[in-house]
Amino acid sequence: MEKPLTVLRVSLHHPTPGLAAFANVPQRLQHDTSPLLVGRGPDAHLRLELPHLSRRHLSLEPYLEKGSALLTFSLKALSRKSCVWVNGLTLRFLEQVTLSTVNRVTFSGIQMVVHIEGGTSLEAFVCCFHLSPSPLIDRPQAEETDEWEGVPQERPPPASGQQAPGHLGFLHGPSQPSPGRATETQLQREPPDSALHQPRWPPRASLG
Amino acid sequence: MSGFEDADTEETVTCLQMTVYHPGYQRSGIFQSIRFFNREKLSSSEVVKFGRNSNTCHYTFQDKQVSRVQFSLQLFKKFGSSVLSFEIKNMSKKANLIVDNKELGYLNKMDLPYKCMVRFGDYQFLIEKEDGESLEFFEIQFTLSTQPLLQENNWLPEPIPECGGYSSSSTQNNSPVEMGENEW
Repeated sequence: MEKPLTVLRVSLHHPTPGLAAFANVPQRLQHDTSPLLVGRGPDAHLRLELPHLSRRHLSLEPYLEKGSALLTFSLKALSRKSCVWVNGLTLRFLEQVTLSTVNRVTFSGIQMVVHIEGGTSLEAFVCCFHLSPSPLIDRPQAEETDEWEGVPQERPPPASGQQAPGHLGFLHGPSQPSPGRATETQLQREPPDSALHQPRWPPRASLG
Repeated sequence: MSGFEDADTEETVTCLQMTVYHPGYQRSGIFQSIRFFNREKLSSSEVVKFGRNSNTCHYTFQDKQVSRVQFSLQLFKKFGSSVLSFEIKNMSKKANLIVDNKELGYLNKMDLPYKCMVRFGDYQFLIEKEDGESLEFFEIQFTLSTQPLLQENNWLPEPIPECGGYSSSSTQNNSPVEMGENEW
């Protein structure tokens, strides 16, 4: 029996008229276990038509944490010019973060909400895209200040510690143990319902 | 004023020194597609694959025992740090990858220590990282060892300290035997 694929339900929003930035976005994209590249370039697996986007802007990499049967994903910023905001964290070039079950991502004016539904197949994963004409995230770039209220905006000095401060529990080094796919701590940091517009998904397609 | 004096200061580049050993290195030509003692420059966003498939792998081993993609290496930056780090990921369903004393199964990955021994099957790799400033590129240089880098029970890492991994010098006492460039 075929094992079910992990599904990334990806909602996308950009304020361009008619969602022109997403002209090349398919409804469904199956990908092997190599990193999925998002960007403007010809080698991007998910091509978005925005002039300010880097050719390789970010990647989504599946991997297995030790002892886990389900894929975990890390998001890595690949743009030298601009940042990627992930769950309130600002990622600069080559920085990466482990994703949790629900993730809010913004880059180059694009709002992206990624909801991960675990499957046991280790051969591939599938992205199901939903294009949203309305914004998905309220105050997308103010999330950072929400998290850092009253804390200076400076980053920790290099080598001062690999673990992010406790309140940034989303962040894990690649080999650090994950707190799980949706721990209590993470859920506490989810934005209030009003901040995250959950997309309405079409009925789940049969996968695999 | 000469062009040399006007030129921009050259950035140093992070380099992985990879010393490889396989007992059949002489007869079977398994390393024939690898250019030893050549510092190859790679883009920092590249995922470098090692394995048997020359279409997908940057570095190939001519050996049917090796998986089409055996493992991959990629650069990343720890959050808030300016230092580039590498992570290694096992891409083989058949064989575990052993990094020092840690075993990585299929799709498991971990940060590469500054100096470590990576093994699968009869392959041994001593990997040493040299830090550099460039964020654009990194380099890989291969050296061939004609003697085993690791004898059975000869690579016994120190117990893991509670506060973290090994120090970069923790392997000094167990230094593998390497052949110098002039010895082979």
